[in-house]
Amino acid sequence: MSITVLKPGLQTTIQSRPRIGLRHLGVPASGAADPLSLALANRLVGNAWDTPALEATLLGPTLRFDVSCAFAITGAHASVSLNGVPVTYHETCFAEAGDELSTGAMETGTRLYVAVAGGLAAENVLGSPSTCLLAELGGLEGRALEGGDALRVSPVSVAKLETPDEFRPPMSSSWALRACESFETHQLLDDSRDRLFESNWTVGRRADRMGLQLGGPTLQISSNGRMPSAAVFPGTVQCPESGSPYVLSVDAGTVGGYPRVAQVIRADRHLLGQLRPGDHVRLLLRDQQAAVEELRAKLDYWRAWLEDIEQII
Amino acid sequence: MLIQIVDDLVSLSVDSPPEAQALATHLREDEAWLEVVAGIDSVVVRFDAAVIDTRMARRRIDDLLAGGIPPLPSQEGLLEIPVVYGGEYGPDLDEVCRELGLSIDEFVALHTGADYRVDLVGFTPGFAFVGGLDQRLRVPRRKEPRQRVEAGSIGIADGRTGMYALASPGGWTLIGRTPYKLFDANAADPFPVRAGMRIRFTAISADDFNA
Repeated sequence: MSITVLKPGLQTTIQSRPRIGLRHLGVPASGAADPLSLALANRLVGNAWDTPALEATLLGPTLRFDVSCAFAITGAHASVSLNGVPVTYHETCFAEAGDELSTGAMETGTRLYVAVAGGLAAENVLGSPSTCLLAELGGLEGRALEGGDALRVSPVSVAKLETPDEFRPPMSSSWALRACESFETHQLLDDSRDRLFESNWTVGRRADRMGLQLGGPTLQISSNGRMPSAAVFPGTVQCPESGSPYVLSVDAGTVGGYPRVAQVIRADRHLLGQLRPGDHVRLLLRDQQAAVEELRAKLDYWRAWLEDIEQII
Repeated sequence: MLIQIVDDLVSLSVDSPPEAQALATHLREDEAWLEVVAGIDSVVVRFDAAVIDTRMARRRIDDLLAGGIPPLPSQEGLLEIPVVYGGEYGPDLDEVCRELGLSIDEFVALHTGADYRVDLVGFTPGFAFVGGLDQRLRVPRRKEPRQRVEAGSIGIADGRTGMYALASPGGWTLIGRTPYKLFDANAADPFPVRAGMRIRFTAISADDFNA
């Protein structure tokens, strides 16, 4: 039983939870770039939050169900249709064998998630079935989907659900990311620290699962943008020689030689998966206590709909 | 020891790669951490802020440090990494030899004539930063990184040799390539090269590489 990929879209991969505990061997987190949207989609089809599902990027895939199957769509906004009939986000939908699901170009946000009841078969490698493109791990042969691929499914029947309104994350083209000063913030010269936290940044063309370049004022740094390689994580904001901040995302390498000038707080890292070139970004400075309190507040809020929220974000 | 906390990350500063590895190994004795990642002169611990608060994370680190950090046992074995130097396998070797004023034979003799220690594994799965490069082989990183460096590529930069386990973008000056598999997700041990290991490079021919 399978779903056939008729058109793969720009970069559609199978994603699940991140890889944890292997960064000291160079293994990136991988996993859904927007894990909250992944969990919301899986919730609607009765799956565990980290059941392997599709993550589509900017231009979605066209799929044919070769078996009747419940599915759900969350994440970036695009026109999505089943046999030409518009599909509503954030509710359980039901496809019959032969139905075609078509997802268009994302209008706001970057990544759309398609979860199917019972999940997609995916290769579990180094602790997760998530696709890591760079290392060609997990998912379907460690790669993005191609036309003609057959995604193996084992459908289970589920009841219809809708995400309550208050748990539908808004998509936008301007984002506020709360961030702490990081280990080398003190190397920023003159008013560069203020610029980092007070400028209206624009996401550059280099924006993918590795990271996002931010365009705006050039930052001046005392170390010429180099330092002995040190650990970096999703949410780390580096300042390389060019003076343009670079925000690391889920597939970023595990160590880097550029000064770490900010850290997007854990509560907001899931938003990185939805930023796209041209979007506006502000980094809102938070101290250590606020970073922790805001994480707690977000976890408390989401727990009412996603009971595993501590593992999700 | 300088200890800094940034959100769910705690950074500890040390003086050298062996100290960083010893500290990281010691910190892993507490299983509370999500990640313990050594750098060249630092270790960063990532804690689960949903479960333990900042003060508790700091206290657990202080407790681990209180008893001292045992040095890692010295490694007895020596791993040989076969390398084809120059040509299409090491496209920067000619230029770097000109810059350094060495013949290719002199360069290869220097590079294969020493024992090295793996300072760090990281960046991508299995990528190894190998310390102890001869002073006469010091070059900076390339100004313009390559979009694609082949798996197995051997590069030098900033006093180290880098071994690319995977094809990836990269900025090291490429001197050769090894057929040795530095990362294999399907192997019993996917990571045959570990920080602290002693290694030596040996020169092989292109025919040996393709054999």
